[in-house]
Amino acid sequence: MESDNRGVAIGLTLVLAVILSLMPLSGDWIVWKPNFLLLVVMAWVIHWPNDLGILFAASVGLLADIVLRMTLGHSVIAFALCAGAIVLLSRWSQYLSMLQRTLLVALIISSVAVLEASVFIFYDRPSGIEHLPLKILLSMLVWPFIDRLVARLQPKRG
Amino acid sequence: MRNVFSRSSSLLRKLLAVILLAVTLMLVDNFTLWLKPVYSAADSLARPLYWIANIPLRVQEWSANSATPRSEIESDNLRLSKESLIYHGQLQRMSDLAAENLRLRRLLNATELLQDSVLVTEVIGVSANPLRHTLTIDRGTDDGVFVGQPLLDAEGLMGQIIEVHKRHSTALLITDSSHALPVQVLRNGLRSIAEGSADYNRMNLKFVSPTADIREGDKLVSSGLGELYPAGYPVGTVLSIASEPGDNFLKIDIDPSAEIDRSRHLLLLYTSRDSAADAAK
Repeated sequence: MESDNRGVAIGLTLVLAVILSLMPLSGDWIVWKPNFLLLVVMAWVIHWPNDLGILFAASVGLLADIVLRMTLGHSVIAFALCAGAIVLLSRWSQYLSMLQRTLLVALIISSVAVLEASVFIFYDRPSGIEHLPLKILLSMLVWPFIDRLVARLQPKRG
Repeated sequence: MRNVFSRSSSLLRKLLAVILLAVTLMLVDNFTLWLKPVYSAADSLARPLYWIANIPLRVQEWSANSATPRSEIESDNLRLSKESLIYHGQLQRMSDLAAENLRLRRLLNATELLQDSVLVTEVIGVSANPLRHTLTIDRGTDDGVFVGQPLLDAEGLMGQIIEVHKRHSTALLITDSSHALPVQVLRNGLRSIAEGSADYNRMNLKFVSPTADIREGDKLVSSGLGELYPAGYPVGTVLSIASEPGDNFLKIDIDPSAEIDRSRHLLLLYTSRDSAADAAK
């Protein structure tokens, strides 16, 4: 029953994240739009590191690639790396304050984004690295809301 | 302690497996068309999500329209009527010129130029990936849309259709980094290639030699070479020209004519060549 409720809650937050990702913005803003799907996945993995880990993140990454029309596999790697880092730090991350968790999320997202941009630069393709600082800052601003939403939606344990 | 290490190694194994799978998917996606049906099905499934994502924009438009005072609407109406009259007058002159052009082409035994026709369409979604410049429009195979069809807004060329579904299609914009189109300078006919730069407000002009006659402010139109875009449609204006010592070509930035990230109502272009191809079929 508990896992059913959690499934519905995960589904709802993912649909909300997809809608926010698809919401049209003018060109000046779109480059700074946070990756809502990644933030939602990270929030779920932080709260349930033992049940929702790399495979969950990779599956949502695959969904992101299909819906957001990116090269298939691109978000799979990014999401899996972020989830992997969170699972690895899960023993400590659960005891962090909101501010510390926000900084941790920003650090993980930045590391993966820089890695991603380096691959693009290597292949001489536009990387969008110049927009990264503001994108991370906006992600940090929306993170507390997503974290609280996921914390409220998750079924009570035990 | 052993538990921590076994947990880390299991995590690493999972991560490696996922990365291997993702790399395989990337290769399949880049070098084959096997996944096209998946994208097609996902596009159809995601259409309601696009509709929901557009609700705030529709509400904003509706509230802006509702809040407009009657006097402003009346003055807008008057202005548009005047503009329509002016354009009708110019159109009559254009018809005259077109008829004369046709007569001259007949005298020269050249191919006749036929009129292009258009279909109005509305943007229902934009790519969420800022590095991939695509749009989803509300016309599909039901409306005769086809792959490669040019797309315009009121100001100039926007892009081309790359995927067609029953009731919607996806267009690749001219500012996408994978897009290039042949252009010419309106002032002197100098030919070049305008390439997207993954920035909605910039494009680059390629392969223009430092001795070429090109200036800031020059208007660029499609040249019609490559037979994808018809000739003579506005593409952009030369914004800046830079020359690096030792470079074989100039570095030229273009400001696209079309309002790439703002236009909501667009035109699908049916050229005379499409009609001829249909007739041949």
